[in-house]
Amino acid sequence: MTLSARSVLEELKACGATFCVGLADTALSPLAALLENDPSVRFVPVTREGEAFALASGLWVGGQNPVILAQNTGLLESGDGLRGTVQRMRVPVLCLITYRGYSSLAAKDAPAPSRPRVPDDFSRPSLDSAALITEPTLSAWGVPFGFLKSNADLPKIRKFFRLARRESRAAALLVTKNMT
Amino acid sequence: MLTKAQLLKPLARHRGSAVVVTCMSVTRPWGRYSSSELDFASADSAMGHTADFALGIALAQPRRKVICLNGDGSMLMTLGTLATAVGARAANFVLFVIQNETYELTGNQPIPAAGRIDFAQLAWGAGFPRVHSFEDRGEYEKRLPDVLAEEGPVFVAVRVKRGSEGPISRSGKEFSRYLQVSIAESAHRLRKVLASSSPRRRGSRPGGLE
Repeated sequence: MTLSARSVLEELKACGATFCVGLADTALSPLAALLENDPSVRFVPVTREGEAFALASGLWVGGQNPVILAQNTGLLESGDGLRGTVQRMRVPVLCLITYRGYSSLAAKDAPAPSRPRVPDDFSRPSLDSAALITEPTLSAWGVPFGFLKSNADLPKIRKFFRLARRESRAAALLVTKNMT
Repeated sequence: MLTKAQLLKPLARHRGSAVVVTCMSVTRPWGRYSSSELDFASADSAMGHTADFALGIALAQPRRKVICLNGDGSMLMTLGTLATAVGARAANFVLFVIQNETYELTGNQPIPAAGRIDFAQLAWGAGFPRVHSFEDRGEYEKRLPDVLAEEGPVFVAVRVKRGSEGPISRSGKEFSRYLQVSIAESAHRLRKVLASSSPRRRGSRPGGLE
């Protein structure tokens, strides 16, 4: 089951996205490459993901419909930017977040998403420490999220776009595999 | 070195139809010289993210000038935004850094490298095509109209005297109109204003870019 960057882009366009802002990692780079040559959705690379939330807020105030691209490590870096701009200003924005380390959570000794994390979880080499706190962090920040695992999940893009607009908030889709 | 009044009064006269985004120690003073619906206070927001927020407005509204009055401490928090603005070719973006060398709102604690850091050099290094530094009132007033009319991104470092502005609230206790509503209401209002108005045509510089 693949996740096609071109199909993701077509869905974003169909939802009215006009800008993508962020830092593309390995999983998102096929999408970023398509954006470089697509005049209908402009890609604005940033130097650190916290910038993306403020920049996207400005884009929205200016009349655009931005989408944020980031890895979960970047999401963790973005805490105050997300809080003080998108959330404080009630800006509707869809975030496509690479779920680095998602597969490591399938290990037998991985903690359940709802179990509080303990120091041993973070130091265990078999677990990705960014993955460990991705879902709990989104929950703590009040950002509703879903999963983009394959092309079968593409309708979720429209669903989460609508959710963000309807409730003037951030909504996230966690990308669990590299786009092709 | 300029006072805040010497910095802001001429800017209020020459800003035209530009959006002006303020933060930190000039937020309240700007409200003494302007009550435009195109003003936005990045107060009760995220410190360090004023320039990237203003850059977003500039990219969204390429035919309108967007002026950001950033603090030096705030700029240091997101120096990467200098590269982002250059990379995004934000021709209508004018980024001021107000150098008072301190975190004024929290009691004038010195910023790192206070007295030694050169913001203009940082902007040059990031690739800003237009960079200006001012510490003389007369020179600033004389050149400001031309600076605001330049194709950017434009960077302007201005040395100002430190003041004693305290923490900013968003309430009816603030005299500035743009501080009397929440930041969410301000953001949604400005979006509506920008959607319903277009910048003036050439000849009314510096606000428009047509």
